Amino acid sequence: MNTSPLTPQRSTGKHSSPLSMQPILSHATIKATPNEQACYVMLEISPSKDLPTSRLPLNLCLVLDKSTSMQGIRLQQVKEATRQIIDFLEPEDTLSLVVFSDKAEVLLPGQKNVDKALAKSVASTIQPSGGTEMLQGLLAGLQEIQTNRSEMSVNHIILLTDGRTYGDDEECIKQAEWAGLNQISLSTMGIGADWNEDLLEKMADVSGGTSTYIDTPRRIVESFKATVRELSTIVAREVSLVIELADNVTLHEAFQIAPHIRRLDINDDHKLALGPLGTNNRKIITLELRISNAEPGKQQLMRLNVMGDVPTQALNRQADNWTDITVNVSSDTDAEVVIPPVIITALGKLAIYKMQEKAMQDMASGNIIAATQRLETMATRLLNLGETELARAALLEAGRLARTGSLSSEGRKKIRYGTRSLSILPQEL
Amino acid sequence: MIKCPFCQTSHVDGTLFCNECGTYLLDDDQRGTDPLGTSEIGWVGDTAEDPVATSDYRGTGPLAIRLSIGKHKRVVEIPLNKAIHLGRLDPASDVFPEIDLTNDGGLEKGVSRRHARILKREGIVVVEDLGSINGTFVNGKRLAPYLPETLSSGDTLQIGRLLIEVELRS
Repeated sequence: MNTSPLTPQRSTGKHSSPLSMQPILSHATIKATPNEQACYVMLEISPSKDLPTSRLPLNLCLVLDKSTSMQGIRLQQVKEATRQIIDFLEPEDTLSLVVFSDKAEVLLPGQKNVDKALAKSVASTIQPSGGTEMLQGLLAGLQEIQTNRSEMSVNHIILLTDGRTYGDDEECIKQAEWAGLNQISLSTMGIGADWNEDLLEKMADVSGGTSTYIDTPRRIVESFKATVRELSTIVAREVSLVIELADNVTLHEAFQIAPHIRRLDINDDHKLALGPLGTNNRKIITLELRISNAEPGKQQLMRLNVMGDVPTQALNRQADNWTDITVNVSSDTDAEVVIPPVIITALGKLAIYKMQEKAMQDMASGNIIAATQRLETMATRLLNLGETELARAALLEAGRLARTGSLSSEGRKKIRYGTRSLSILPQEL
Repeated sequence: MIKCPFCQTSHVDGTLFCNECGTYLLDDDQRGTDPLGTSEIGWVGDTAEDPVATSDYRGTGPLAIRLSIGKHKRVVEIPLNKAIHLGRLDPASDVFPEIDLTNDGGLEKGVSRRHARILKREGIVVVEDLGSINGTFVNGKRLAPYLPETLSSGDTLQIGRLLIEVELRS
């Protein structure tokens, strides 16, 4: 704690992991019963305080939709956002610029020490034309990132589109997966109501990035800047949480709660991929466990380890720093259950997100009545949280669904991205 | 196993939130409809934001409304000089409706604490659903939340599953 932040801490003993973890358990004590019972663990993962906060060089590519529909204020704002990002860059950062419509074009091949005046003038030449073929743009962007990457760089693509891409969805996801495996994350941004949120969200998720819904062109600049600012704080890449469960415990569900809610895929090896980690982007994860045959006494539920690639640290990935999660098992059935408020808040918001997931599933399977009811119930929960705006959006869409059998493209995005970002938590965690 | 008090879905012991409807499962008080009044929503007392409190509404149109509530036809007559909220009394969450439907079987019939309100707008009596869970119906037609619908004498107003006959008094 009291070491100077200027002295880099290189592997000072095997217990100093560059990433720290703080777990909280929902039930300090569980019942002794052969029956299955649920228990939740919430954890915050953040860079250790003694980790040097030197900035990693960015290897950034902007992949911009210049199709005809981008004409006017949208493209104008995209150009402005690009200019502001160019100003933000440091000499050791690399920037490349790709535009796409029916085909892709590399406007600015990747270069360090970007000639800012030149780059801005190149950005201002973008003219709208043609349709939307995202795959072309993505491939050109990945190519640029690959040629310019270095051992230390944060490799990232910001992809902005306002339309649906036709026929190449699956290939786009494949490429995004490949990007994720090669330490390239994607921020996918959709503007307006006509893009495919399933596709953009999936592409961001599999690559460890974030997807953003931009409801009005006025928010383009802000969204771009927020993303680049976030990137410049990244200290660890490919962060993952490794879970080893006790024999009588299973992992039922896992979610990331912050920075935004998303479901985490549980693989056989119980290693949850969390993407890159920045200094002001702590990750909060909840795990829902199922315990059977709990016997009185102390029970170890699982042990956890956070791994990640921290370029400024020499020995990091092997960090053997397991944390045990233990619970008391008591046969006193009348014991009062006290759940930490922070867990109730987080899981309450997660419950709303999950209702949204279910409403969309109901709708996809043609069960309009169930979907309508779920949206209505969801609206009530949102009202109770004081989320009046989102509650109204949900009610409006519930009404539309009941009358017309479908949601508006815009409402669907509003609800999806709104419930996802419900997760702002109190600071006390 | 525990059962969700709202949608009756069964869950493993220790589950905190119902997967189907998002109800918090440890709270004994929570029985069915919307659990808490939010301060954002205009309710009894905050007349400053209540459009009905302005003088426009006293002038023309019916002066009072007479409601026959439920199968026992409990009759309530109430002047239309301000908005009349229908719901279930819950002092704990600061909800004090003018017409409390608790004793008319409100909970069983799916009446929300903040369910609907009746008010006079430019001489016309309207009813507005306040985003209730189980809905407000006029002559069998469900109202869109927050979208006022005209009420006339002889109409049947339905709050959740509770039937109310409406009569306007001039």
